[in-house]
Amino acid sequence: MKNWKKIRENIDQKNYLDKFLVREKVINAIRLFFKNQGFHEVETPVLVQSPGTEPYLEVFETELVTQSYEKEVNREAREAGLGHKKAYLLTSPELFMKKLLSAGLGNIFQICKSFRNGEGISSFHNPEFTILEWYRVEADYLDVMKDCENLFLFILNELGSNGDGKNILMYQGVEYDLTAPWERISVSEAFKKYSGISTEEMLDSQKLVQIAKEKGYEVDNQTTWEQAYNQILLNEIEPHLGQEKSESGKTKPTILYDYPASQAALSKKKDSDPRFAERFEFYIGGIELGNAFSELTDAGEQQARMVEDLKLRKDFGKVEYKMDKDFIEALEFGMPRTGGIAVGVDRLVMLFADQDSIKNTLFFPIDDIFDY
Amino acid sequence: MIIKAGSIRKGMYILFKNEPALVTKTDFMSPGKGSAFMRAKFKNLKTGKVQEFTHKSTESVEEIEISSVQMQYLYLDGTDLVFMNPETYDQVEVPQSLIGDKVQLLIPESKVYIMTYDDKPIGVSFPQKINLKVIYAEEAVAGNTMGTAKKEIKLETGLVVLAPIFIKEGETVVIDTETLSFVSRA
Repeated sequence: MKNWKKIRENIDQKNYLDKFLVREKVINAIRLFFKNQGFHEVETPVLVQSPGTEPYLEVFETELVTQSYEKEVNREAREAGLGHKKAYLLTSPELFMKKLLSAGLGNIFQICKSFRNGEGISSFHNPEFTILEWYRVEADYLDVMKDCENLFLFILNELGSNGDGKNILMYQGVEYDLTAPWERISVSEAFKKYSGISTEEMLDSQKLVQIAKEKGYEVDNQTTWEQAYNQILLNEIEPHLGQEKSESGKTKPTILYDYPASQAALSKKKDSDPRFAERFEFYIGGIELGNAFSELTDAGEQQARMVEDLKLRKDFGKVEYKMDKDFIEALEFGMPRTGGIAVGVDRLVMLFADQDSIKNTLFFPIDDIFDY
Repeated sequence: MIIKAGSIRKGMYILFKNEPALVTKTDFMSPGKGSAFMRAKFKNLKTGKVQEFTHKSTESVEEIEISSVQMQYLYLDGTDLVFMNPETYDQVEVPQSLIGDKVQLLIPESKVYIMTYDDKPIGVSFPQKINLKVIYAEEAVAGNTMGTAKKEIKLETGLVVLAPIFIKEGETVVIDTETLSFVSRA
């Protein structure tokens, strides 16, 4: 049954609406958290000509019609591209927010819709989803880690779910202790700890593919480093993140940081070890909730990476479009040193509503809108 | 049938690590950050153990056909349970080890579903609740309501469960086939 019909049937039942209403409370709390610190809330476009170049993300395509013609000529005009421009829905507001950083707005945040196509239907994905991004200037990913810790505690308190002050989030029968600091583990340490793989082995394509093979993963001569890396990360490491009991017997969220440089398109490489980039993701109960960078501010390097990404998009048969030159220009003008992050708001709501699927908290999940 | 892991769906039967398994949950993983992966939970049909595994979406997996036929229990032959299809009178032998302690739910003519793969029985599926007759229950002593308000009763299959003290010999009770425990009076 569709969610709106379920609500109609159960509206008189006490607390039935709660799991849906958590959303407005969480969003209120997020706004308050950033506004209290003087962040500007910004709005950037969702419909654009040049979306981000991430090679693995697929976009929704549409068309911008700038001139209308008589009925008879409309089809011809469209075919000739007259007054019709290809347009795309953004997969994240990142590039546009960075233009505002370059313009000098200072600390900014945004809660908006983003769109990702071809991701399948799952408990943790909806093709149209709500994203929270914030950018803190004169800061780096370490500052953003602290923002995450503070934000989660703030939401818990705002929801009135921290009555006893113990900072416990109950999720699916497990108590998560949100008290800072959360567990921090680098990708290198995690490969060592959970898979027995050294940093040298992890970064060496041949060795890692060989190890994956020995571990029993399906490997052939087409298997890339990236596939072997993700096979191991997803099967052997991720399920432990935000799940392990610390010495105090409490389960804390986990921050997984310092990714191999190839896995961090818009982040800055580490000065101390350029094989890695200053990126982190954080997890609660094995669920990934956000992805952060010390943002790459070098226009030349950014452009080179985007060119590379666009080539990959072509190889993968993804929708092709042009690079956002305006963004490169913004970096050329100079973007301040910045730490930034994208957080899936739907997953956040799912977590605070203690639901096992984001579908249970959306008034209109994709399944209720499309037949397939 | 060979399919791509990206098309695994909940409710499918898959050959997982060479054992037939039921897919109980699927999630498409980290599609934005690398190749697409499909995370799924597989319930081994023989052992009931649930394992999680993340395949590359392009990886090949074998979808298998499991047939499920309603059969009647006849008798125990050594270590094999013998069942009969009431329509075709075909008989199958199922190793007792396949159902473990649930053998204590079977009486002649009990109806269950036998799942077969490759013509071999791989599992027995019981209705969620079944009715069984009480063949022994101690009389509740009047006034003895102190301490535990439960007692052991013995059912026609030999199964012993805890039940409220008011249950009497000769009554029929409802048993949960998952936990092998007392639910209510029938």
